[in-house]
Amino acid sequence: MNAAWLPPMALSTSLLAAVVIFALPENAWRWRTGVNLGAALVKLTLVVLLGYRVVEGHRDTFRFPVVEGIDFVLRADALGMMFAGLSSLLWLCTTLYAIGYLEGSPNRKRFFGFFSLCVGSTLGIALAGNLFTFLIFYEMLTLSTYPLVVHRGTPKALDAGRVYLRYTLAGGTVLLLGVVLLYSLAGEHSFALEGSGLEVFLPDYRGLLLLIFALLVGGLAVKAAMVPVHGWLPRAMVAPAPVSALLHAVAVVKAGAFGILRVVYDVFGIELSVELGMTTVLAVAASITIVYGSLRALAQEELKSRLAFSTISQVSYIVLGISLFGPFGTIAALTHLLHQGLMKVTLFFCAGNYAEELGIHRIDELNGAGRRMPLTSLAFTVGALGMIGLPPVAGFITKWYLGMGAVQAGMPWVIVVLVAVSMLNAMYFLPILYRLWFRLGPAHGHGAWPEERRLGHMETSAWLLWPMVATALLSLGAGLFAAMPFSPLGWATAVALGDYLP
Amino acid sequence: MMLPDTLTSSALWFNSLLGLALLWPLLLSIKVMWRHVAAGDQGVVQYLNGWWLSAAWPALGLVLVGNGQWILDGWILGGQWELTALSRAWLMFTALLWALAALHARGYFAHEQAEANAGDTAARRRLLRLAVLWPLTLTGNILLIVAQDIASFYLGFSLMTFAAYALVIHDESQRAVLGAHVYLIMAVLGEGMVLGGFLWVAGEAQVLTLEGLREGIAQAPHGVAIAALLWGGFGIKAGVIGLHVWLPLAHPVAPAPASAVLSGAMIKAGLLGWLNVLPLGNSLLSEGFLRLGQLIMVVGLLAAFGAAIYGVMQRHPKAVLAYSSISQMGMMTTLVATGLTAPDNWHLVWPALVLFVAHHALAKGALFMGTSISEHLPAWPLTLMWALLALPGLSLAGTLGAGMVSKWGFKSALYDNEQTTLIWLLSLAAIGTAALVSVALWRQWQQRQVGKGNGWQLYAWLATLGLALITPVWLPLPAESMPFPPFAEWPGLVWPLPLGVLAAGLVLTLWTPRPFIVPTGDLWWLYAALGRAGANVYGAMVHRLFITKASIVTRALAMETLLMKRLEQLLASDAWMRRHASGLMMALAVGLVALLAWENIPS
Repeated sequence: MNAAWLPPMALSTSLLAAVVIFALPENAWRWRTGVNLGAALVKLTLVVLLGYRVVEGHRDTFRFPVVEGIDFVLRADALGMMFAGLSSLLWLCTTLYAIGYLEGSPNRKRFFGFFSLCVGSTLGIALAGNLFTFLIFYEMLTLSTYPLVVHRGTPKALDAGRVYLRYTLAGGTVLLLGVVLLYSLAGEHSFALEGSGLEVFLPDYRGLLLLIFALLVGGLAVKAAMVPVHGWLPRAMVAPAPVSALLHAVAVVKAGAFGILRVVYDVFGIELSVELGMTTVLAVAASITIVYGSLRALAQEELKSRLAFSTISQVSYIVLGISLFGPFGTIAALTHLLHQGLMKVTLFFCAGNYAEELGIHRIDELNGAGRRMPLTSLAFTVGALGMIGLPPVAGFITKWYLGMGAVQAGMPWVIVVLVAVSMLNAMYFLPILYRLWFRLGPAHGHGAWPEERRLGHMETSAWLLWPMVATALLSLGAGLFAAMPFSPLGWATAVALGDYLP
Repeated sequence: MMLPDTLTSSALWFNSLLGLALLWPLLLSIKVMWRHVAAGDQGVVQYLNGWWLSAAWPALGLVLVGNGQWILDGWILGGQWELTALSRAWLMFTALLWALAALHARGYFAHEQAEANAGDTAARRRLLRLAVLWPLTLTGNILLIVAQDIASFYLGFSLMTFAAYALVIHDESQRAVLGAHVYLIMAVLGEGMVLGGFLWVAGEAQVLTLEGLREGIAQAPHGVAIAALLWGGFGIKAGVIGLHVWLPLAHPVAPAPASAVLSGAMIKAGLLGWLNVLPLGNSLLSEGFLRLGQLIMVVGLLAAFGAAIYGVMQRHPKAVLAYSSISQMGMMTTLVATGLTAPDNWHLVWPALVLFVAHHALAKGALFMGTSISEHLPAWPLTLMWALLALPGLSLAGTLGAGMVSKWGFKSALYDNEQTTLIWLLSLAAIGTAALVSVALWRQWQQRQVGKGNGWQLYAWLATLGLALITPVWLPLPAESMPFPPFAEWPGLVWPLPLGVLAAGLVLTLWTPRPFIVPTGDLWWLYAALGRAGANVYGAMVHRLFITKASIVTRALAMETLLMKRLEQLLASDAWMRRHASGLMMALAVGLVALLAWENIPS
C-alpha cells in the first residue's frame, strides 16, 4: 500500500505554518507560538509515522509530471528519513529555543515565517525523490535562510547576508548546470534506482560523467562549507543563535552534506564513483577541510566563530565517511549526519545562552561561568567532549567507524588525520572547559559579566534551558546506547547494510 | 590466597554488585552536588562525609563475590565487563587504596573544611570540586579494570584521566596550575596515541573486545607498529622514561591523598593497559615483537636507573617519591617486556608482576600519605614515627614483608628462564629504590612539623602501611604464585638496602646540586621550549599565509570591479542600441533590401 499523501502532508505542515504565521499580526505571540509548536509536533509525528512505514518496507511515493520527462517526486526512503527525523526533532528544540531567544525583539513574525519555510525546505530536501525535486528545495532553502541571516539588519549582518547569497547562489548555479547536463545525458534519474543505470555511459562518456560529478559535488560543497568555498559560514555567525544552531546542525551545511550523500550513493552509486576515481579526491578534500577548519578554530577568540570553524571541520567527517568505500565508512557518514547535528546544536544553544544571559561573546569572558550557569556549562562540556571524540558522547562512535572504514578502504593515513584533529579539538575545546570550571570570574566576585540579565528563576529562562538539556542528553544517549536497535548507529547500520551494499 | 574463587555463582549477584560498584561513586558525586545546591548560596556542608567515604566499598564487595562476566548488548559498541584472575586482583588493590585514601583525605582536608565553615568561599569551592570529581575518577578507574571491551575500557581510561585533573589542580597555586597543565597536555597526547592504536587495530582485525585486540595485534600486518603506538600511549600514564615528565610536576603539587591514588592506582592503569593490549605470553609472535620487547626492556631499565639517579638530587620529598615511582614503573616495564621476549615464561611472571604492582600501590600510597604525616607529626615517640614512616620504603626495597615476597616472586619466575642478567640489573635497581626512599625520608625530616594532625589522616595511613606489608595475604592470587622466600635467600634480597642508604648518604653529604641544575620535571622544560619554538614558527607561517591571502583577495576584488565595469559598458552599449532601435532597424531593412536586390540582379 502506497500512502502517497504522507510525504506531501509532512512537507505541508511547515509550509502551512509559514503561511499562517505570515498572516498573523506581529504581536499575536500566543497564536504564533501555538502554530509553531503545533506544526512542529504534527510534523514530528508524521515523520515518525513515515519512518515506521519505511521500516515496514513501504516506500511512500508522491509524484506528478511537471513537464514531459521531468517529474516532481517526493519519496520516503531510509536515508531520507534519517535526515527528516533529525530535522523535525531539532526543529522542535530550536523552535522552543527561538521563542525564548527572541522574546521581546522586533520582527518576530518575519523570523518565524522564514524559519518555518527553511525547515520545510529541509524536509523537502530529505524527501526529494530525484535531482530536480532536490534542486527546487535546495534553492528554496537558500532563499528562505537569507532573511534569517540578516535578521538583525545591522550593516555587518547585511554584509554577511550578501556574502552568503553570493556563495550559495553561485554554488546553486553550478549545481543546476550539473543537473541539466545529467538530465540531457541520462534523462530522468530517480534516487530510487540507488545508483544503478549510469554505468552504461561509462565507456563513451567518461569525461562527461566526471564533469557532471565535479559540478554536482562542487556545487553542493559550497553549502557543506568545504575548503576553499567555506568563507560564508564564519561570516553568517552574526545571525541570532537559533539560526546559527539550525544552520550548523540541520539546515544549510547538512543539506550540502546530504546532497553529496545522495549524489554519491543514489545518483552515481558508490561503485561508479570509485571507478571514476572521485572517492580519493573527496577523501583528500575532506581531510584538508577537517584539518584546516580545526587549525582556524584554534585561532578564534569569539565563541561562536570558534564553533563555526569547528562545524566546517566536523561536517567534512560526513564527506570523509562517504569517500571511504565500504560499509564502515558509510555507517560513519550516516551516523555523523545525526551525531554532529545533536552535538553542534547543543553547543550553539549554550553559546546563545551565554550571550543572552550574561552578554558573553568572547571566550576570555567565560571565566567561572560554570558556577553561574551550571546546566549550560555541563551541556557545553558534553558537546565539547563529543566533538573531541571521547566516549561515551556520540562523537566517539563516528570516529570509531571512520577509523575502521579507513583501514577497510586501504587509506590508513586517515587515522593520522583523525587523531591529529582529535588533539586539535582538545586544544581548542579544553581551554574553554578550563575557563568554565576552573578559572575564577564574576561569579566568584572578580569583575562583572559583560551584560547580565536575569531571564528566569533558574540560571536562564526555561525556553532557553530545556531544549539545550534535551539535546545534550540525546548526544550522550546516542553514544552511551549506540548498540541499541533504534539508535542513530543502529538506523545508519540498517540503511548502509540494507540499501547501499550488495 | 584467602579468598575463594567465587563466593556465589549467581550471575544476578555479580551483575548487580558490578553495577553498584560503578554507579555508587556516581551517585555520591551527584549527592554532593545536590547537598551543596540545597545548602544555598552561602551554606557549607561537610563535603567528605560518611557517605562520601564509602565510594569504593561496593567495588571491594565485588571482589569478594568473585569472578564473573556481564555482557551488555546495548552499551556503546557492545559491553563486556568481567572479573578475571588478573582484573580481580587489580580491582582489589585499586579499590582498597581508593578507600583508604578517602579516609586519609577526610583528615587531610579537615582544616580546609574548617576554613570553609568559617566562611572562606575559596575553600568551599575547592572542596566541592574535589568531592564531586574524586568519585568520578574512581568510577573511571573501576570501569577500566572490569572492562573487557575496547569502548568501555577507553571510556574508563578517559574518565579517570580527565577527572583526575581536578585532583592535581586542587590548591590552585601557580605550581599546581603548571603541574595540572603538564598533566593534561601529556594526557591528551596519550589519549591521542591510544585512540590511533585502537582505531588502527579495530580496522585491521575488526574486533571490539580486548581479547580480540590482543589476538588481532599478534596477527595484523602492522601489528608491531600498532603495539608500539599503544605502548607509547599507555606509557604516558605509566611514566615511561621520556614520557614521564608530568609525574614529578604533578605529584608534589597534588594533595597527599590525591598523590597516593595517582601514584598507587592511576599510573598502574597505564600498566594494565599494556597487559590488556600487548600480546604477552603469545608464543607465536613474529620477530618484530621480540625486537619491540627488547626495546621496551631497555627503556624500562633506563627509567629504573635514570629516575633513581635524578631523583636523589631532588629537594621536595614528594618529587623524590615521584621519581621513585618512575623508577619502580621502569622495573615493572621490564617485567612486562619479558612477556614479549620470553613468552613461554609469562604465565609465571604475570602473577609476580601483579603482586609487585599491588604491593607498590599500597606502599607508595603509604609513603605519599606519610608526607602529610611528617608535616603534622602526632605526639608519639619520634623513633617510632620515623620507623613507621620508613617501613613502606624498606618493604619497597625488598628487605621485609610483602616487598620481600614480591621481589622473590619475580626473581624466582625469572630464574626459571635463566634470565640472570635481568635479575642482576633489577637487584641493582633496588639500590636506587633504597637510595630514593632514604632521600625522601631525609627531606621529610628536614621539613617536619609537629601537631595539627587529625585522627583520620593518621589511622588511614597506618592501615595503608599495615596492608601494604601483608599484601600477599589479601591479594586474590593463587597462593603458590606468592611463595615466601626461604631463609637462605634472604641475604640475596637484602643486600641492596645498605648500599642504597650509603649512596643516599653520600649524595646528601657530598654534592647536592642547586634546584635549577636538576629542575623537577627534567625533560619537560626542553619539550616546552621546543613547543614554544614550534608555535612561533607556525605563527610566522600563518602570518605569511594571511598576508598572501589578503593580497589575493584584493587582487580578485580588483578584477571583479574591472569585470563589472566592462559589463556595465556592455550594458550601456545595449542602452545605446535600444535608443537607436528604430534607426538601426531601418538600416537593417535597407541593407536586407539591398542584399535581395543584389541577388536578384540577373547576371
